[in-house]
Amino acid sequence: MLKAYKEKYAKALIQYSIIDLSGLIVESDDVLFPNMVNQNIVDIHPFFECFSPLLLSKNEEFIFSCIHLDYNGKSIIGDVILQTFDGDKFPLLTMHDLTSHYNNYQTTAQVRNESVIHSQILELKNSYLKEKEEFKNTFIANFSHELRDPLTGIITFSDILEKSGLNQQQQNYINIMKSSSNFLKSMIDDILDLSKIEVGKLDLVIEPFDLIELIEDLKSSYTVKAKQRGLEFHSNFSEKLPQILGGDALRLRQVLTNLLNNAFKFTQSGSITFNVSLNQIRAQKASVHFEVVDTGIGIKEENIKDIFNSFTQINNQNSYKGVGLGLSIAKYLVELTKGKINVTSEYGKGSTFSTSINFLATHSLKLNKKPRPKQVAFVKDKKYNILLVEDSEITQLSVLKILASRGQFFLDIVYTPEDVLSKISNYDNEFDLVLMDIKLKENDGDDIAKLIRKLPEKQHRKIPIIALTAKVFKEDLKRYKKAGINDVIKKPFDEVSLLDTMSKYLK
Amino acid sequence: MKISKKIVLLGHFGVGKSSLIRRFVENTFSEDYKVTIGVHILKKTVTLNKEDKDVSLIIWDLEGNDDINNTRMSYLLGTNGFIYVFDVTRPSTYENLESDLKFIESKYANVPIKVVGNKNDLVTKEFLKQNNDKFGRLTNCYTSAKTGNNVEDLFNKLAGELIK
Repeated sequence: MLKAYKEKYAKALIQYSIIDLSGLIVESDDVLFPNMVNQNIVDIHPFFECFSPLLLSKNEEFIFSCIHLDYNGKSIIGDVILQTFDGDKFPLLTMHDLTSHYNNYQTTAQVRNESVIHSQILELKNSYLKEKEEFKNTFIANFSHELRDPLTGIITFSDILEKSGLNQQQQNYINIMKSSSNFLKSMIDDILDLSKIEVGKLDLVIEPFDLIELIEDLKSSYTVKAKQRGLEFHSNFSEKLPQILGGDALRLRQVLTNLLNNAFKFTQSGSITFNVSLNQIRAQKASVHFEVVDTGIGIKEENIKDIFNSFTQINNQNSYKGVGLGLSIAKYLVELTKGKINVTSEYGKGSTFSTSINFLATHSLKLNKKPRPKQVAFVKDKKYNILLVEDSEITQLSVLKILASRGQFFLDIVYTPEDVLSKISNYDNEFDLVLMDIKLKENDGDDIAKLIRKLPEKQHRKIPIIALTAKVFKEDLKRYKKAGINDVIKKPFDEVSLLDTMSKYLK
Repeated sequence: MKISKKIVLLGHFGVGKSSLIRRFVENTFSEDYKVTIGVHILKKTVTLNKEDKDVSLIIWDLEGNDDINNTRMSYLLGTNGFIYVFDVTRPSTYENLESDLKFIESKYANVPIKVVGNKNDLVTKEFLKQNNDKFGRLTNCYTSAKTGNNVEDLFNKLAGELIK
């Protein structure tokens, strides 16, 4: 029975052929490829060309796996075995048809290889994008930094000029210069903030703050601004608002300022309304709703989706100055608090921007207020020796002019580590404070600070060092602290910020 | 007298070995990637004008492998020339280039090897210059099976070397 079934259903998949030493097929069955007898093996398929030298070997077996063969319109994938013998016996060629098996293998290999290639390409694309992003952010950071020295110069000398007895027209010019430099400074800050946000380096600093004071302060500023612009400014603050909350007051102010500035920018007539209300207090968290409503030019529906994109100005008219970062930064900052900014607008009639932000709301929150001196004071008649480590002539001159105006400072200026150490080690001239630029052309200021802290004399190791820098990322501040730097003055600085910080360390 | 030479193409999977052969033998190209398993063998006769000779190139298109040690050695028997192909856009296909070449040279000391950076249509000349240290110094030519750039030249040059 089995024999009968086999005869009927067995499918032979192996072909046997005998080849002479010249490659001529002398005998063959027709299981896979018929009509091969009397043909030379090399004419069957180019694969067999490699047989010529092998046919002359004795008693050897050559196995070739997974060979694609086609002959007379038939294709197979199979294993080919050539067996050679001693004496006059001709070699035996065996062809195994394993097409089905190899096709399955092909399918598996296809899936595996495609997946590997796809993931490699994705990885490359990611690393390319990352490199591009890093380059952009480094460029922005460096470029912004380079802008800060000349800006410090403009701000400082505007202040100095302002005190030099100007007539009204000259005072007006100075006001324009100061307002332009403040605008430039805020744009640089925006660009730096955005680059920090994009690389995930911007963290919120959660501290107790006075919400009422913050919004009242904004109300005062924008009431004045509205008056200057001939606009109405309304504010509605709910009486239920808690006074002390835990959150990042600096960034909250930035979000609200950006929303209010945006409203002022695009409102030529009518009013701007600033509403703040309490959504709820639950589980020691307060959700506060902020809303800015304007009667400005409004936004077309199709443009609403783009208004939070960086460097986007829906209205490209030159009358609206700015680089289009304000809303983008506000959106990122609100998202850091897990919130969202909503916008509704009617083109030609005005827009409403609103957001709800969660703050900590516990009874234990207490303000840690450091009273800021209204006027910077130093010990009367005392002279201070200051060492400025700075290679930018503009900043050198700015610091010199600011300190000279006080008449209480002797200033030495150096910019190499050797000169710094030599000056400090000189006992005839003990310094009360070091102002250290961080990004010197040849050295990093924090490295020089480390050298100062390593000096053998105890008193040298204790000289207060204040960094002058635009690089104030969280990790930068950590690095400065580790290098023994006591404080940081952010560039561009003005007279008040320089003297205020210095006064903390000069007794 | 008929001259016949066996050329074997080696390299990782997906670098374009089959596409290079198809471009050379049939002058066609397909964007679809079909994995080669085992080996395909094709034949093309080239006429070398300088030598005034016809050479039959028996071209073995081997299954791509990311480890050359896994290559079936029976496929390499009687090889007259190698073409080692890598993909200029995928570092994994050329990061072992030096050791792969040493492996081939250790087993087939006197067999010529052409090292080919394929898919050069996807990168700039500047990119190739920048990568001189990674693969440029070992590479004989850059090709594109898609555009046909340098493909004919590659096989003809190797054929010329094989009959010297």
